[in-house]
Amino acid sequence: MSYRYRDEMTPPPPERASEVAVTRFEHVYEVDPALMTEHVTQQTFPNWDTLRLVRSRAGHLAWMHAHFADKVVSGEELLDDLDR
Amino acid sequence: MTVTLGDPVVEELRRILGHDHVLTGKADRLNRTRVPAPFPVHRWAERMPDLIVMPGSTGEVAEVLRLAHAHRIPVVPRDGGTGLTDGAVPLRGGIVVDVKRLNQIKEIDLDNRTCTVGTGINALKLNEVLSRHGLLYPDDPASYPCSLVGGRIGTSGWSLIGSRYGHTRDLVLSFDHVLPTGRVIHVGDGIGRKITKSSSGYQLKHLFMGHQGTLGIATEATLKLFPKPEAEFSPFWAFDDYDSAYRTVGQLARAGVATFAGAVLFDEWKVAYLRRDDEAYIPQPASVKALVCAALYGYEDEVRAGGSRLMRIARSMGARYLGDEISQGDWAARHDRYATPLHGRTRSGQVVPMSWHCEDASINYTNLPAVRLAWHEIADRLRRASDVFDDWGMFAYTNGATGADYLTEIDIGIWEQRLDDAAWAAWVSAKRDLAAVALAHGGSISACHGSCREGEVDLVPEELGGGFDVMLAIKRALDPHNIMNPGKYLLDRAYPDQDGSP
Repeated sequence: MSYRYRDEMTPPPPERASEVAVTRFEHVYEVDPALMTEHVTQQTFPNWDTLRLVRSRAGHLAWMHAHFADKVVSGEELLDDLDR
Repeated sequence: MTVTLGDPVVEELRRILGHDHVLTGKADRLNRTRVPAPFPVHRWAERMPDLIVMPGSTGEVAEVLRLAHAHRIPVVPRDGGTGLTDGAVPLRGGIVVDVKRLNQIKEIDLDNRTCTVGTGINALKLNEVLSRHGLLYPDDPASYPCSLVGGRIGTSGWSLIGSRYGHTRDLVLSFDHVLPTGRVIHVGDGIGRKITKSSSGYQLKHLFMGHQGTLGIATEATLKLFPKPEAEFSPFWAFDDYDSAYRTVGQLARAGVATFAGAVLFDEWKVAYLRRDDEAYIPQPASVKALVCAALYGYEDEVRAGGSRLMRIARSMGARYLGDEISQGDWAARHDRYATPLHGRTRSGQVVPMSWHCEDASINYTNLPAVRLAWHEIADRLRRASDVFDDWGMFAYTNGATGADYLTEIDIGIWEQRLDDAAWAAWVSAKRDLAAVALAHGGSISACHGSCREGEVDLVPEELGGGFDVMLAIKRALDPHNIMNPGKYLLDRAYPDQDGSP
């Protein structure tokens, strides 16, 4: 989190991820702002809050895995085993 | 029923339940009018109950029903209010019985692997306690964090991992049930609370599940428990076309892997929707047209062995594994679809706030492709007519371990604020058409939600045939004054000598 308010309220410049989405932070996608002008407009978010929401979601999903099982098996490991 | 302060019925309810557990305020009533299934906002007032009661015991529920029976007052039970077929919605005012105070864990029987709970408890909260004993109650709907055991009984719900553990009907062993007259009975296999198989007498448990509150209120249930799984595996695979994905999901479901808990087929429309708005799929190449996922639960060595077999099958069918991050993230989100903020698109691509409506049916594997095309034609008709509707695609989830039939659903985004009378009429007509397609293909109108909402309910007598006449006879015998959830499931036809009102 930046000390300066201005820095937090200035998101990184968008990079186009698809015809309808852009990305400003790695692995964080948002709807192309041009598609949110008539019925729903985008809110202004400080950068720390955007990243907090994303991390909270990841935390929630990790919690859900642990809720249902003690361990999650990796498909990539199983594929490696099949290739051996 | 119009409630005014000092009404003798209200005073009697307060005597039974205590002053704090009879709610007549507008906010309390509005809070229990809303359900997830979209409905025209300008008509919400039609669904307001007169008052809410929050009983704390089976005895209090019985007293409330005895009073309602004597005064011919409609009663609607409400649990989590997460149902998608309006079971918890009052159509004739009256009393809503909110069971959320019946949320105690009465017993955990470690030796017989059962627990007994009030039906107002939520499975997630129950499992937090059971996990301390290494146990799990594996009833896992998309509303897992917010639905309640009683609602699962009233709906005869469907579970994401039901191919491994069974669905609500299999997991609930028995329950106390208050009949519309206020009489309390216990239903299960035979009379035992913890019996999993009995041949004694009629099998009443199934009769009192899935009735959507029209035959009374379940208050205390005994549930079957399993060891909490040591390991989970949830691979997601991508395909260039629907047909390959369809053949693969069939092979996976028929493989006979013991830890197999379910498989899901995502069609082209669903993938297109996800590539619009889901972080996991936005970066996927345009060549991804369909998806399949599977879920396995059990001891780690079993899950690894079964998982390897499914990976081998999928690879032989041309599937591309999507990687651990997407696979694990998407599966974890499937337990909790009600927390997903939703938006759709106008035909020009602009974002609009939309509510989610999911229409479901039970369809045999061999009929999935034809039903998919027919359902999307119906959705396309809606979409072409109005920006109120958006086609969010279809899923097909295995109903059981052998892969015979699938919970088949189409998700429609509905711009609820613009849902005027004409759009609602178009939607109800479409719902009827979706149900007709399911029946024309030898399916059932619903695998999961129930079929008592406007539109599909018109076809229930056609689906059940002579069985619907038996439903009418049972309803009239058990609820002679039609107080329990009147107006649902066309059951007013059981009372030809009345106008439908209690």
